[in-house]
Amino acid sequence: MRTFTKLAAVALASAAVLTTTTVVSADAADSQGRGRVKNVIYLLGDGMGRSHVTAARDRYYGAAGSLQMERLPVVGQVRTYAVQKKSGQPGQPDFEPQYVTDSASSATAWASGVKTYNAALGVDAKGAVVPTLMELAKKAGYRTGNVSTAEITDATPASQMSHALARGCQGPTYSAGSCQDTDITGTPLPTSDVRVTPIADQIARNGTSDVILGGGLSRFDAADEEALVAQGYDVLGSPADQTVATRTDLQSTRSRKVFGLFNKGNLTIEKFKRENPNAVQVAEPTLPEMTRKAISLLNRRGGKGFYLQVEGALIDKRSHANDAAQVLEEMKAFDDAVAAAVSFAKRDKNTLVIVTADHECAGFGIIEKGTFSNAEAQTPPANADSGNPANSSTPTRAANKKDAARSTGPVNGSGSSDPENFAPATFRTVDDPASVEDGTLEAGLWLTYLSGNHTGQDVPLYAYGPKSKSMADTIENTKLFDVVGGALRLTSGQ
Amino acid sequence: MRSSRAVLGTTILGLLLLVIAIGWFALRSDGGSADPLAAARTTFPGLQPATGDPSLPGLAALEPRPGTVVQAAGPFDDRFHFDQLGFDGRTVKGRAVVTSDVSDILELEVLAGFYDRRGTLIGTARDTYHHDESTIDANHEGVPSHAHRFSIRVPRELQGRAVAAAVGVPVLVNE
Repeated sequence: MRTFTKLAAVALASAAVLTTTTVVSADAADSQGRGRVKNVIYLLGDGMGRSHVTAARDRYYGAAGSLQMERLPVVGQVRTYAVQKKSGQPGQPDFEPQYVTDSASSATAWASGVKTYNAALGVDAKGAVVPTLMELAKKAGYRTGNVSTAEITDATPASQMSHALARGCQGPTYSAGSCQDTDITGTPLPTSDVRVTPIADQIARNGTSDVILGGGLSRFDAADEEALVAQGYDVLGSPADQTVATRTDLQSTRSRKVFGLFNKGNLTIEKFKRENPNAVQVAEPTLPEMTRKAISLLNRRGGKGFYLQVEGALIDKRSHANDAAQVLEEMKAFDDAVAAAVSFAKRDKNTLVIVTADHECAGFGIIEKGTFSNAEAQTPPANADSGNPANSSTPTRAANKKDAARSTGPVNGSGSSDPENFAPATFRTVDDPASVEDGTLEAGLWLTYLSGNHTGQDVPLYAYGPKSKSMADTIENTKLFDVVGGALRLTSGQ
Repeated sequence: MRSSRAVLGTTILGLLLLVIAIGWFALRSDGGSADPLAAARTTFPGLQPATGDPSLPGLAALEPRPGTVVQAAGPFDDRFHFDQLGFDGRTVKGRAVVTSDVSDILELEVLAGFYDRRGTLIGTARDTYHHDESTIDANHEGVPSHAHRFSIRVPRELQGRAVAAAVGVPVLVNE
């Protein structure tokens, strides 16, 4: 009996030692590299370039302050280029780059690990279906979540839970014009092929994401609702009668599988809700609220872990519109969602948080207070300056001036009613005296746009948690697939 | 007796360590699928494949007066409005102006229904806009357009019989 007792004690002690080792290992996981990853939260600021981050920092935290994302210990940057249709992958003989990506191609890069053509989702540049991280995570037993302020069928969220030749094939119904791409397939595909199946139909039936929160109710119909309910989803609101879900609906659900769309289209911009506190759209949850709720729904005691993607989509959409006031508030909401994710990760200690973007949008620029941009200049700037005095010759560029007709005051101030006005938008920052107002010449933050479209800049990356260190570099967007896949032991990467 | 208890104890210890080791290994190595492509969901039992381009169920119920153009209800009516609508017996024309938070129009289809003198729907035709992101559009610069102008001809077999029209939007995608 004594021997048995000793052996049992040894066994228990051994188990305790191993358990303790595990716990210590997890506790020792620092904020940058070591330790085991149980959860991944991937936050994506659509269209968020380096200047978006700096402008939002200046606006809300001041020049010496930092956004929540900037406080993360790992910093890197991501190459975003896409490829042409039918291109090979980088390094292959038939590789043909496309220097400026769209959201679909970029999202497919991190979701599936391949460069593809603009507009493609979950297929490579030759049209072949490629699995997504969310599908792999689901298959491996992780819980999965997908949150966006866009329609949930839009490129970024759709990249994880659909396969489509063309991102425009969103639904509610099929159309050849928006779903087929014979440049890729030669002849039209049968409508039973997943690659031309409307994205809403796919999302409602493939069960890839356990928690789906965002906009885009108009893409779904009664048959979709029936399919969702049959899979066990708690459907907030109703696609069948087009009743949008509300913040209250979201707060009250405790289901393992939740489908909640809070607007028929994209969610409402924060600025509108702030300025219209009695509007019906105020019932929509914010991005940080959706993020916190998604985490609480996905994080189950004893579970294997979860993979959650969160998109701040309206940064891009309002950048396309060159509306800096709206962009800044969307940046703030996105950064608050980052704070929610990091707060969880710090408590959990086994969560990898990645914050990045798919591409820059609109050539967002911060110019010096009191100066003017080329768009306001009397004379278009010369691209070549052969007379540069550094070359010991005579300068050919004449002194430039503002064009009075194209620079009639801050576009969010005295020049707001002039459609020909190309002046910057100006914003007060926390560094400005309290008396300074937005849209004035006294405001410290002067913001301009180069265009209304995407640019080819690399984008910033911030990360926290175990396995994050490998991203402290300039990386391809496809490497994010390897990092997450490796961290969750879904792929052989990393 | 003491010996059998020792054996039992050793066995329990061994099993315990084995369970812990297996669990540890499983935790370290789980997930990597032998066939990653198998994770992709590509079939949807019960989903009826589309049989053609989309229609608007409300078209058949409309009875526009001769010479008029009316709007047929569609899933995106809260995102656009029509203006400059006109019908001359051969062509229905107009503009779809997107009013939601547009960044770029990627897909837009305008479906036109044509009606005889009794107000009966006798046929349809459509205008399809597809923004191909792989081609260079010299006019595509600056802030994207919010409006799409369309012109839809009455199909040849309906010419002379079509006296009124209805238009609606079954497909609309913005970036």
